[in-house]
Amino acid sequence: MSANSPEQPRIGVDEWVASAAERRARTLAGRIEEIGERTPAAVKLLALALPFAVFPLLVDSSYLMQVGIDTLIFVLLALGLNVAVGWVGLLDLGFVAFAGLGAYLYAAVASEYAGRHWDATLAIPAVAIAVAAAGFLLGLPSRRLVGDYLAIVTLFFLQIWLVVLINASFTRGPNGISNLHPLEFFGRPVTSLDGLYYVALGAFVLVVAFLYLLNRSRTGRAWRALREDELAAELMTMPVNRLKLMAFAVGAGIAGVAGALFAPVQGAVFPANFDIVILITVYAMVVLGGAGSLVGVTVGAVVINASLEALRDPDDASWLFYAAVVVTLILLVRRPWWMPLTVLGGTIVFGLVVHEVAEQVRPSLVGGVPVGQARIDELVDSWVLLPEDIVTADGLPTGAFGRLLYIGFIAAVLGLTLIRHRVWRVVGLVPVLYLAAVVWENLLLPQPAVARYVLIGALLVGLMASRPQGLFGKLRVEIV
Amino acid sequence: MRRGLIATAIAVLAFAAVGTAAVAKTTGPAAPAQLAACTNVSLGVLAPLTGPAAFLGQEQLSWARFAVSQYNRANGTRFKVALGDSQLSASLARTVGRRFVANDDIMAVVGGSTSQSVISSAGLFERVGLVSISGSATRTDLTSGQFSTFFRVVPHDAIQSPNIVRYVAGNLRARQVVVLDSQDDYSVPLSGAVARGLRARNVEVDRESVAADETDFSSIVANVSDDADVVVFATQTASAAQTLSNQLREQGKDAIVFGTDGAYSPTQYKPRLGYVSSFANDLRFLRSARSIVRAYNRFSNNKAFGTFGPPSYMAAWVAMGAIQRACADGNATRSEVTTQVRRTNTPSILGGRVQFTRRGDVRASKFYIFRVNNGTYRLVG
Amino acid sequence: MDWDKLVQLLVNGVTLGSVYALVALGFSMVYGILKLLNLAHGDVLMVGAFIGWGVLGWLGGAQDPSVAVWILIVLMVLAAMAGCGVLGVAIERFAYRPLRRAPRIAPLISALGVSFFIQNSMLLLFGADFRSYDSFDLVDVEVGIEFGPLRVWVVRLVVIGAALAMMIALWLLVTRTKLGKAMRATAIDREAAAMMGIDVDKVIVKTFFIGSALAGAAGVLVGLVFGQINHFMGFGYGLKGFTAAVVGGIGSIPGAMFGGLFIGLAEALSVGYIEDLTRGRLGSAFSDLVVFLILVLFMLLRPQGIFGKPEVKKV
Repeated sequence: MSANSPEQPRIGVDEWVASAAERRARTLAGRIEEIGERTPAAVKLLALALPFAVFPLLVDSSYLMQVGIDTLIFVLLALGLNVAVGWVGLLDLGFVAFAGLGAYLYAAVASEYAGRHWDATLAIPAVAIAVAAAGFLLGLPSRRLVGDYLAIVTLFFLQIWLVVLINASFTRGPNGISNLHPLEFFGRPVTSLDGLYYVALGAFVLVVAFLYLLNRSRTGRAWRALREDELAAELMTMPVNRLKLMAFAVGAGIAGVAGALFAPVQGAVFPANFDIVILITVYAMVVLGGAGSLVGVTVGAVVINASLEALRDPDDASWLFYAAVVVTLILLVRRPWWMPLTVLGGTIVFGLVVHEVAEQVRPSLVGGVPVGQARIDELVDSWVLLPEDIVTADGLPTGAFGRLLYIGFIAAVLGLTLIRHRVWRVVGLVPVLYLAAVVWENLLLPQPAVARYVLIGALLVGLMASRPQGLFGKLRVEIV
Repeated sequence: MRRGLIATAIAVLAFAAVGTAAVAKTTGPAAPAQLAACTNVSLGVLAPLTGPAAFLGQEQLSWARFAVSQYNRANGTRFKVALGDSQLSASLARTVGRRFVANDDIMAVVGGSTSQSVISSAGLFERVGLVSISGSATRTDLTSGQFSTFFRVVPHDAIQSPNIVRYVAGNLRARQVVVLDSQDDYSVPLSGAVARGLRARNVEVDRESVAADETDFSSIVANVSDDADVVVFATQTASAAQTLSNQLREQGKDAIVFGTDGAYSPTQYKPRLGYVSSFANDLRFLRSARSIVRAYNRFSNNKAFGTFGPPSYMAAWVAMGAIQRACADGNATRSEVTTQVRRTNTPSILGGRVQFTRRGDVRASKFYIFRVNNGTYRLVG
Repeated sequence: MDWDKLVQLLVNGVTLGSVYALVALGFSMVYGILKLLNLAHGDVLMVGAFIGWGVLGWLGGAQDPSVAVWILIVLMVLAAMAGCGVLGVAIERFAYRPLRRAPRIAPLISALGVSFFIQNSMLLLFGADFRSYDSFDLVDVEVGIEFGPLRVWVVRLVVIGAALAMMIALWLLVTRTKLGKAMRATAIDREAAAMMGIDVDKVIVKTFFIGSALAGAAGVLVGLVFGQINHFMGFGYGLKGFTAAVVGGIGSIPGAMFGGLFIGLAEALSVGYIEDLTRGRLGSAFSDLVVFLILVLFMLLRPQGIFGKPEVKKV
């Protein structure tokens, strides 16, 4: 409908779509992809694993090492979920049950529960195979189920699993199984955090390599065909049911490995170790990173887990929040390049004005005590409204004002998305950004544990509405 | 494809080599901090601040913060509170535990709240000599000697169950009892012990169970026979005990509810007739505690509280006292703080004094039994 | 045969079932039109329960209401319906509408995010304590109808009656009004309906409004009959409402009603009889399992539910 350039004839929509690859090759992302295609897989794997391998050398705090191990376990979970959800498009809402099963199976073979003491070289592969078999079994009844029904059934399997875990006597009930044997490789126990970290890293490398090869194999191609159009794949004589079962089994096996690593790290297993909250967190990781992309889900897992940890402490949290706001701003108003700076500047000016006016008119609006102690909070204090006594010492809003402020903020953000005119939308960003800072300092920061989850929920919704393919995924159009 | 496989194999081998080297390396957490300055000290609070048990953790956090503000005001100290949300997850408790361990400013931990979180974290604390004092973890084997730096200011389950059995079988002379648990690590062992104790005294026991977040007990009540005298309900949600009591009345059953210590809450559990056990005398009844209650209401803007808050206050108070004593000479290690905690002998806002046994339990602890009439609590045992 | 116990369990089951039916209706309607599972529906119920509680407090509380009890209850229900209707419309507009053409997984994940967001926002704003409706102060436990030796509390009857009334009203709406016809048409084929001149977007908005309003009403009813509400309660009702909608036949209104009753009765009866039926091997702890297993069985043997039509995939 419009000419690309003067030399080319007027082209229609089809041709425009067909030249999409060319256009992409000219962008930065396209060029990176091109380089990626030329480098051998092993080098890419090395590049992916390098930051993880270097991490322990850069930190010497056991807390950060623990976070690192937890992150790697989450990465494994995300990789496993990616198989069913990202590569085949099967919505598995019961996924974390496999991880729980893996953890309990490890406990069964390496603790006084059954008096067994298996070496990790035997235990972990055995657990992986057993859980993969469970995935296969779970997949059996699900073969005939269409997308949403599959989601429900898998969710209910998770519920059943949790009920059984908590109540059956053979799972030792709510007290779980304690005193697990540490991981032992050929008889040598791994008890140091560094050692456990490298074991997890080794598992990560193996799993990524395995998945990469699987993706490039016939099975991977069949999965992709299945995802795009199941009926067409079936007509092409692909064994659709078997492929689905394989996807379940592989994903479950990987989750089993994650669980089997998780159990000795914690030293015990409890029923609630893998529950709905973990499920949503892993989904957030996969979705953020980009379902279907190995690098993507790895990055997604690291980003989300690191953010959750950073948001634990009010002092660290503010840095993350304001950085995230700035990044979102840059992603929202990319053109022209100076626009984000202008908006930021405008917000600062707006804030200063509002602060001044408030101080003159009603000093109680700025008299409050700030919660955050980080440098950035001190900077922000003189700029943001801090009403006195808006929250109790516990962080709960004392009255209607705090609650209305929160709801008003949400309404403002939603209203902003309704504005069509670009100029007004950018202008509207200024008060909304200011309100965001006010809400953060007054309502979210005093309750960082809850604020984390509020932000995750908002992230999921916002991400789906604006960029459903996540950071590294490919935009898919479903043919219904 | 072959080249890719070979390259991958090499990469894997390389990592295996690195990994084995790492395994051979013996690192653990850094050696216990030799001398931490006594300025800028924090108390770590390990509790479920979000998730289904948030009301429990938030109450404990609130009272811990209150204790810190009271202590600071009374002693001119500058203690702070560091948050550790365990979300009722044992593995998160461990992560938070490590965070506390790595933070040299934290000289004592108030928590974990649940027995599970203690199991996950107390070992870590013990390795660096960091003391943890819980106001609510009642599983008996926590003080069996495996965690030498763990203390608790509340009596454990092996004390509560015989008390309940004694009262229900002896004073109430119940012949038929329903023992109801709420499927968590607090209620299941406790109900098991109560059921066994009652059966040993020839009381007929019917065991039932509900999910921890259940709000409708009508069907369980339908299971309660007309001849049942008492329903012993082990729960951490006082409002659940109230609903159970209401629904028993609704269906015309004569059985009365006997709640375990988690059900204690004059604001939420106010049956027409019922009983509840508690590990402490009610703050509201103690004349000595009246000013504390008033101060707390001011601090928290009249937030309701039950049994979980005040023990956390005491735990925090004990911790701060110990830290201050250890810091008398200007600086202290975590192990010194732990030693001072062992020597605690301080008056408790719950009545009596706080002193610890060698294993970490609070001395001379008993359970109190209250009868509730139309919402009025009266000590009866 | 303990008839008293059976009748009691039946009454419990019907009470629960009425609530589940209301929730299931919302699910069914939305699924019928958008083929979308609104996983945030349970949390809409929770918000309704809180709105009702807020109105109760505003009008004097259960101990000293400033208006007659029945007017109070009606006001609470209406407020919750209005508030939740608006909430539902907002959820549709901002979380689902941008994803109309995205792969099916996207709105489901968005729904998970919405659910998480609403739950934790309530936790943030109102704290973790359970709130009580103090219904026994509002309406004394002795007030009820006698069925022989059994007495049924009037609030239970109110819940059953209100749910029934709403279901009948909805059925009339769907079968007798123009809006209902538009809703049915959009559910059958969205594009064809648009071509017939139906404003599909408006129909979807109205569907969400009605479905969420029903969930809000259910929330208030739950608070009245069971007394306690908290920020986490939506999850359980969402799951069971789900189950009810699927068992009855998702997309079908009589199906949702029937499914709700079925699941409610199954739950009550399983708590009552599971121990007897399994000869003591499984306690009441496993009654939840029974409900889930029913769902799984239905999904495997009759995925379209009792009243649904088998889904035919068009090529």
